[in-house]
Amino acid sequence: MTRPLTHLDLLEAESIHIFREAAAQFAKPVLLYSIGKDSTVLLHLARKAFYPERPPFPLLHVDTTWKFRDMITFRDAAARDLGLPLIVHTNQDGVARGISPIEHAPSVYTDVMKTAALKQALDLHGFDAAFGGARRDEEASRAKERVFSFRSPGHRWDPRRQRPEVWSLLNGRLDAGETARIFPLSNWTERDVWRYILRERLDIVPLYFAAERPTIRRDGQLIVVDDDRMTLRPGEQIEHRMVRFRTLGCWPLTAAMESTAATIDDVVRETLSSRTSERQGRLIDHDQSGAMERKKQEGYF
Amino acid sequence: MSAIPSLHDAFDGARPALPNSLLEDLPLPALRILTCGSVDDGKSTLIGRLLWDATDLADDVRASLVGGGNADGTAVPDFSRLLDGLVAEREQGITIDVAWRYFDTPTRRIVVIDSPGHEQYTRNMASGASHADVAILLVDARHGVKTQTRRHAAILDLMGVKRVILAVNKMDLVGYRESVFREIERQFQPLTRHFGFLEHTAIPLAAVTGENVTRGSAAMPWYGGPTLIECLEAAPGRAADQSAPLRFPVQRVLRDGRDLRGLGGTVAAGEVSVGDSVVDVASGREARVARIVTFDGDLKTARTGQAVVIALDRDLDIARGNVLASPMRAPVSAIEIEARLVWLSDDPFDPRGGYLLRTTTDIATISRLEITAELDLATFASQPASTASSNDIVSASIVLGRAVACEPFTEAPVTGSFLVVDAITGTTVAAGTVAEASAKSRRSGTAGRGPEFRLDRSVLARGLCRDIDDTFEGRAEFARRVEEVALLLKAAGIDAVRDGN
Repeated sequence: MTRPLTHLDLLEAESIHIFREAAAQFAKPVLLYSIGKDSTVLLHLARKAFYPERPPFPLLHVDTTWKFRDMITFRDAAARDLGLPLIVHTNQDGVARGISPIEHAPSVYTDVMKTAALKQALDLHGFDAAFGGARRDEEASRAKERVFSFRSPGHRWDPRRQRPEVWSLLNGRLDAGETARIFPLSNWTERDVWRYILRERLDIVPLYFAAERPTIRRDGQLIVVDDDRMTLRPGEQIEHRMVRFRTLGCWPLTAAMESTAATIDDVVRETLSSRTSERQGRLIDHDQSGAMERKKQEGYF
Repeated sequence: MSAIPSLHDAFDGARPALPNSLLEDLPLPALRILTCGSVDDGKSTLIGRLLWDATDLADDVRASLVGGGNADGTAVPDFSRLLDGLVAEREQGITIDVAWRYFDTPTRRIVVIDSPGHEQYTRNMASGASHADVAILLVDARHGVKTQTRRHAAILDLMGVKRVILAVNKMDLVGYRESVFREIERQFQPLTRHFGFLEHTAIPLAAVTGENVTRGSAAMPWYGGPTLIECLEAAPGRAADQSAPLRFPVQRVLRDGRDLRGLGGTVAAGEVSVGDSVVDVASGREARVARIVTFDGDLKTARTGQAVVIALDRDLDIARGNVLASPMRAPVSAIEIEARLVWLSDDPFDPRGGYLLRTTTDIATISRLEITAELDLATFASQPASTASSNDIVSASIVLGRAVACEPFTEAPVTGSFLVVDAITGTTVAAGTVAEASAKSRRSGTAGRGPEFRLDRSVLARGLCRDIDDTFEGRAEFARRVEEVALLLKAAGIDAVRDGN
């Protein structure tokens, strides 16, 4: 007798089902690969969904030019190992205007280097659907997100006009000018993602593991200085601390935590025994109230 | 005067033990629960209490419920604030159809599907109910079973919810009297009989104090049944019934570049093993399962809920949209359907509109959609009707442009449910359940009500489809284009007749 299906078995199967439906219903899908733990799980599930074929879509990374160097190295290796085409897109207009997470407010920076960049990339290549690793447990406005989430022309999200999703029936038929975002990890929680990484023995970016890194303390948060673009404010100095990350993003906007967890078991144990929610380490979400909802309406993932 | 409990005490008293290893998977499948009832019935408080006492609610979330608003200085958390963000959004005029919340008990994931319960939100509750394993039907002990309770029970039944817990709340406000509870239990009986819920339990409880939510109640010694959490932890999740006949809707053909032509899909009902005979519903032809392929290696058996690739011992020309089934009990390749619809769209039914029928992996043109009756949710009575608008529940007769594998919803929910899709905007306008599916058109001469156009295959092959070759994929693309043309004609008021199919 085979063992009964567990919670993770069923979540995995549901995600595979979503991947296959989307690939069948949309003409030109792409997988938004953001290199973090959720993207790692997403990519792994995509491989399973289309086995023995390769996933029938390329990877797209929206590069703000402020990602940790370790992330870029990991990204290139992942695409190469899977033999999937990788499209890297940067908003050159934003670069020319010198938009940076250090000089500008997080909301401005996110609008230009992430949201506008994503829209440019989708339009440039004519993708009609983009897979993303967002989960409903992340944030209040995500909690009502659909598995197939529709964007009107201009990539705007209108929470009032989302299609009802009933049973496991997924309707991907597009109106003229519409595109879709597909969230195969909708029903996963942070806990599921970590346990799955452990179970499937997935490689993740080394930044998730504790190591001695150059840090400064700014606005009560620990920031790892990843290159020489950060100007220290009076009184700030770089100190080496044992730190790791719970989530990954642009380095000046992602807070590290002090930790000695250097193995995957320790990281998962430490993360899952934490009694606070995950997005505390993401500075852009605290910029203004309802931040995520607003960003999503403007086309953020 | 007793000491005010500190926040710290409130946490430690409430927090359940975590599993021995944080690294382990949860042994039970997730349980999706839908709560039905209005804010007045104490819905938010009940869910809040349940999550506070029985799950791993994060500390920053706990603190936000205790801090701030307690003007009377007590440390009793305001549970209703857990779902508050949504109320605020509602006030901004945003309709929230369904919001999803995830919590863990030591043994299982609890998914709370939160949807508004007011009359004008029937469609939202129906969407929520379609995902639920269990529904908690909340009534106020002071008011008993109301019209709204009946409406909610009807929606649960329509969407296939088989397990219902009647939570008789606010027992503290009726002096914990058994007679009050028994009377409400008695009022509920006709509903369970009418709908045939597989399992129904009534629990007298007080959400505010937590009595019979996560712990027993000294004030109600006359109640010997389970607490709410006991009920939820014992409830079977999805995919419990492996003995159901096999339903395997094919999503996609997957090949390994050598001899494997696999059929990718999810086992939606029953189970399938290597060597089993299966029937392709569309053609009626049978084959045996040669392999069950997955990324993690071949399987001998695939069970309900598993996503796999099935290889047959001979090529049946099967593609996306086909359904493999147990030959003993298979769905019908149906051309006419009698159905129940929940109208979801803001736009009412348009008799001249172009509609598509989407099943789990197939999509076909609807040649004729006729609304025949409307269901009154309060009385369960049907009356003749010919229109449908937002939130209506109606009966409909559907004639399809080509056959689709389906069967009554009560036989197999996955092949008995469908969406009605607007052909032009692509939006989902209605959710449907099949009452009756027939392979042959029972009405003779249904065509001929208006102008008719014959879609001649040879004409199409020379024109619209001349870039298509005669391969398997080519034939599928040919069929797709025929359907699209039929749709456009239909939208223009012309019935398309397809030849040779």
